[in-house]
Amino acid sequence: MKKLIQYLFFSIACVILGSALAFADSVKIGFNVPLTGFAAADGNSARLGAELAVEQVNAAGGIKGNMLELVIYDDQASPKESAPLAVKLITQDHVVAGISGSYSGATRAAATIYQENATPYISAYAVHPDITRAGDYIFRTSFMGEVQGRAGAKLMGELMGLKRVAMITLNNDFGQSLANGFKEKSAEFGIEIINEYEYSIKDREFGSVVTKVKSDNPDGIYASGYFFTAGPLVRQLRAAGISVPIIGQEGYDSQKFIEIAGPDAEGVIITTSLDRDSSEPVAQNFIKDFEAKAEYPTDMVAASAHTAVLVLADALGRASDDSSAALRDAIASANVDASTGHIAFNALGEVKKDVQVQVVKDGMWRHYAVISDPVLLAPPAE
Amino acid sequence: MLLLELTIQGLIQGAIYALIALGLTLVYGLLRILHVAHAALFTLGAYIGVIVTNETGSILLAMVLSMVVVGFVGIGVYRLAYKPLLDKPPLVALIASIGIFIAAEEVFRIIFGAYSMSFTSPPLQHQIELFSGIYLSQARVLVLVLSVVLIVFLGWLATSTRTGVAWRATVSDAEMAASFGIKIESVRYLNFFVGSALAALAGVMVALLNNLVEPTMGAVPAYKALAIIVLGGLGSVQGTLFAALALGIIESFGTVYFGHVLDRDAIAFAFLIFVLMLRPQGLLNRT
Repeated sequence: MKKLIQYLFFSIACVILGSALAFADSVKIGFNVPLTGFAAADGNSARLGAELAVEQVNAAGGIKGNMLELVIYDDQASPKESAPLAVKLITQDHVVAGISGSYSGATRAAATIYQENATPYISAYAVHPDITRAGDYIFRTSFMGEVQGRAGAKLMGELMGLKRVAMITLNNDFGQSLANGFKEKSAEFGIEIINEYEYSIKDREFGSVVTKVKSDNPDGIYASGYFFTAGPLVRQLRAAGISVPIIGQEGYDSQKFIEIAGPDAEGVIITTSLDRDSSEPVAQNFIKDFEAKAEYPTDMVAASAHTAVLVLADALGRASDDSSAALRDAIASANVDASTGHIAFNALGEVKKDVQVQVVKDGMWRHYAVISDPVLLAPPAE
Repeated sequence: MLLLELTIQGLIQGAIYALIALGLTLVYGLLRILHVAHAALFTLGAYIGVIVTNETGSILLAMVLSMVVVGFVGIGVYRLAYKPLLDKPPLVALIASIGIFIAAEEVFRIIFGAYSMSFTSPPLQHQIELFSGIYLSQARVLVLVLSVVLIVFLGWLATSTRTGVAWRATVSDAEMAASFGIKIESVRYLNFFVGSALAALAGVMVALLNNLVEPTMGAVPAYKALAIIVLGGLGSVQGTLFAALALGIIESFGTVYFGHVLDRDAIAFAFLIFVLMLRPQGLLNRT
């Protein structure tokens, strides 16, 4: 009997000690990301990018001696999934903050819940303007769609001197916000939009739009989309004999785009946030380490998720105490050099940074230009 | 000229719809089952097409192999999923079918990866001048030619061979056909084999046109093909062909001229609703 009691005490002590150690050892970060469904490819890259950042932080000693831990859930890029997952992450997993490695719909739904629970939340690459408007606990380390659209207008009108532009717009929040930004500034840079076509994210076959664009005979094409829509689109445009410049955005930013479009990808130019030829050590290290971990070349979503984790880790290290409010204040005052550039936030939690312009050359994304225009690229502050 | 080119693009799209929807309409005609999992076979066909082409360099071999393998998988779906449910209400088989389709998407993702797959050097991309000023890639021409050839061949099969007569007899009255010594089971196997092989071919064609194969590529054909067979008057082969081509052309013009109001699918379903209001029995059927 005595032995049994001793044994019981011993096991209880072990459990308490064990959990105490676990608590002391890890700082939990929630991470919602699409790992199944149509966005699973982007989700997988985002997860690998975030995991890489966590490994790097932990290898460098963690946060004040504690290890970072990602709690990863699959949100299928759907608000129906992301909202309950946000509740679960906050109330059951007790994460100190969350990061979205997902698209706009899922991110908006989760942002509201993080704000209600006064838990900081960072959107890694979702573009919808309303995400950060959920409140003062919500941040975004990537460009809003409008900002990138404006950069696209400057690129086509001023840097490339293209006058008559046909737009092919993806009819979701990503494509629409890019188109809004582009149209807002096109006249200023001497661009005449001769026609605009819209397509749905499910479309891979653009035969009729391509035929019509050919008869429009534009100087250049501003086409929004993701690599899985833009790859077939660029292929079909080139196959129809359309040889004018095609300008895309960060949705193209994946080696997969080059694989799908093949030789037709050559010369396609995009606005994005990762410069493959950056001289910054943090970017170069990321590009090298990501390829070693993932066994394929890096992309925009991976770099964005990596950046978001680093920004949060930096804030965790600087926060004055363990409270959510202190962490929120630390994120708001971020001043971090990350793989996607220098991260600092405005009053709304939007990032202020340069837009990178990349071009496909010999089957690789390469440096083309940088658009650095603080007035043009200023995100809204409220 | 532009109108003609848009019509040709619509016919190409319509031909692909026709290849997919034919299998569906054959199954519905025979078993009264809405075979949603058919679209998973389309995806499987596309994957086999790309993998075999990349390994062997022969698109012809890829097409044949894809059609044969998927044909047998189609038979497997019937044998394992539908046959045990034939005496249940059709809704049960429909639910099983939807289940298979959803599961198949995730199985493709696990086996082939979440990332899309592409041809390493896409075949049949050269331009052909169809007639003055209208250029099409070989792949697009092939879609048109193959669909016409296959559909004519199937028409001949159904009307002029013993197998075809047996098949039509089984469709109109299975019990009666059985009493005349027709092996109903063989007819059903053949039916699933042919329908699935056509879907596989459509998959390879779509892969050729887009150079992109992904686990979820069956999602749109899954419901679009249902819309087409409803438009065609459920179970009618001619009606299905007509509806597929009509929908292809309507989408072709719609995406260009109404794309900013309604997207491709919305146009297709607006057309479906419109037609069903006027002709609830389908485009070609008589009341």
